[in-house]
Amino acid sequence: MIFKKILTIQNEQQIYARIDDDGKCRLTCTADYPEFVAWLSEGNTPEPADESETPE
Amino acid sequence: MAIQTAIDSINNSSGSPFGFKNRIINGAMAIDQRNAGASVTQTTSVVYTVDRWSCYGSAASKFTVQRSTTAPAGFINSLLVTSSSAYTVGASEFFFVQQVIEGFNIADLGWGTANAQAVTLSFRVRSSLTGTFGGTISNGATDRVYPFTYTISAANAFETKTITIPGDTTGTWSTDTSGGIVVNFNMGAGASVSGTAGAWSGSTLRAPTGATSVVGTNGATFYVTGVQLEKGSVATAFDYRPYGTELVMCQRYYYRLSPAFDSRMLAFGGQAYAPSGAIVYVPFPVTMRTRPTSLEQSGTASDYHLFNAGTSTLTLTSVPVFAGSTTNSMGMVDCIVSTGLSAGNATALRTNSANGYLGFSAEL
Repeated sequence: MIFKKILTIQNEQQIYARIDDDGKCRLTCTADYPEFVAWLSEGNTPEPADESETPE
Repeated sequence: MAIQTAIDSINNSSGSPFGFKNRIINGAMAIDQRNAGASVTQTTSVVYTVDRWSCYGSAASKFTVQRSTTAPAGFINSLLVTSSSAYTVGASEFFFVQQVIEGFNIADLGWGTANAQAVTLSFRVRSSLTGTFGGTISNGATDRVYPFTYTISAANAFETKTITIPGDTTGTWSTDTSGGIVVNFNMGAGASVSGTAGAWSGSTLRAPTGATSVVGTNGATFYVTGVQLEKGSVATAFDYRPYGTELVMCQRYYYRLSPAFDSRMLAFGGQAYAPSGAIVYVPFPVTMRTRPTSLEQSGTASDYHLFNAGTSTLTLTSVPVFAGSTTNSMGMVDCIVSTGLSAGNATALRTNSANGYLGFSAEL
């Protein structure tokens, strides 16, 4: 499981997509989401956003 | 005379016989918005199971949790833990299911002050194992902990347990939207995170010393239901609230819109901001504990579509995305299609299959 930045058209706040081990995105979140905060605290870094802006 | 005796009996309890007697939400384990009875596997992150209850373990995949229909008289559900292996718990490891009670809901107990009130925890429990089991009551920071024990005398039969906990006159106990009291049922803990039962401790303990390890026996089962935490030193009858009331109480922490009629879910309306995008607004049935920070969905874009002009629909080309302007009373969802919307026009999001859903979490 990783987190990845996504670019939204609204672009008012950075949103992250959680990409599960099967490659699917079942959750999107802000930087305040507890699971994302815990993931960062383990030394992880979110991947950059794709050109296509939002997760498939 | 009999009526006066009954009133005296009520008044002699330091708890509240009316209203919000039970500080535990979903103590009967009936509400399961996320999983509808399906099993979830414990991980090394907090995983939510039946509403308001979560599980955790220092090593992944040592047990599963689900809502069960095995229940004692007076209940229709329980929370079932099933051990996935015969795991030897390391000295500093621990495994549990727990509920974190919001600080606002325990503020009257006066914990952390000289006026701290006693509470009584009661529950029905059943296991394939027998012996001394344990858990803890703690604050949100887990630096004030009261380990407790209880005995399961017979295998595979529900027993009622009652533990009275003296109010803690020290420590920091939240009285706001953060975690107030944590009620924890231990499934296994090592020696270095276990401590003396029946006494408050300033150490970060996870269990009483010597408690039975459920994860230590492959296939071991542990059921619990009728969990009640009430003010006072006497356990009273379980506060069986109306289902709708209990559901709304759960929705303060997690709200899932799931398909219903025609296997589809309608997630209210919105407005297109471009030919390829729209924001959809989802009012919450109750003000959530905090502003949600995430949106859950099925993971498949084609499970969702937007209404366009008239009755035509446009299938999403990417999954619905959490929109940052979500508040604690309304969710906002960003929806992307290839093209076909008219900026400024109204639209609505609907699931395109029974698999689609939207979930907003403000859990503790």
